[in-house]
Amino acid sequence: MLFDTTQLALQRAIEGAAMRQTALANNLANANTPGYQRVDVDFHSALGRALGSGTGARSALERTGFSTQTDGTGAVRADGSTVDPDAEAAKLAANALEHQAAVQVAATRNAILNIAMGAR
Amino acid sequence: MGMFDGLEISASGLTAERMRMDVVAQNLANAQTTRGADGQPYRRQEVVLQERTPTSGFGAALAGAMGGRTGTPGGVQVAQIAKDQTPLKRVYDPGHPDADANGYVQMPNVDSVSEMVDLISAQRAYEANVTAMQAAKQMFSKTLELLR
Repeated sequence: MLFDTTQLALQRAIEGAAMRQTALANNLANANTPGYQRVDVDFHSALGRALGSGTGARSALERTGFSTQTDGTGAVRADGSTVDPDAEAAKLAANALEHQAAVQVAATRNAILNIAMGAR
Repeated sequence: MGMFDGLEISASGLTAERMRMDVVAQNLANAQTTRGADGQPYRRQEVVLQERTPTSGFGAALAGAMGGRTGTPGGVQVAQIAKDQTPLKRVYDPGHPDADANGYVQMPNVDSVSEMVDLISAQRAYEANVTAMQAAKQMFSKTLELLR
């Protein structure tokens, strides 16, 4: 119960969101760098794949690694950059909320365990 | 990946955008300077930004070994401050001490309107980096609250 699949998934989600934050911050820092290709961390699909693997979900979660990838799908600006500062800021805000949600759930689970263990 | 990479990346963005603002201020201050440091009329300066990728250290080696991108995100850096080589403006002002035999003075190639546009762009980009920094800070403090 203490270290079950949900706890592990929450831990990995927090980790993934923190990593994605650095990627999005890098995009914003390079908003005026000509020719810069935006990067992103797709931790959602990596986590989704791991959680979808049934009974092996736990070990799959432990093995899943996230990586920063270049995203070639965005519209290219006149200076060759693929960064849209507004879109990056929106993604950054959404990612921070997602991170906060995962942390909140983890904190609540900890509180429940604390009560079960007799803490007041 | 270090815990405070996000803050460092945003800090590099702040440094770069502040440098752009400084250079815009320098250009505006010297919009009428006919005697620059080299004795020639002042030429507009421009900041060239470049992505900073950590090429050494544990993070870069790990990312390379894991087949990821060439490096972990490292922020941005100023590659150089280049001089704008577009032609200088020629203004007819025979009373000016730097006027040539025909009464024309070579004036800096600074266009105050485009400098103002650059200034706004740098200012907005600076604000975006501050927002990213605040988000990172908030995320760290929320994570630390788990320990309470």
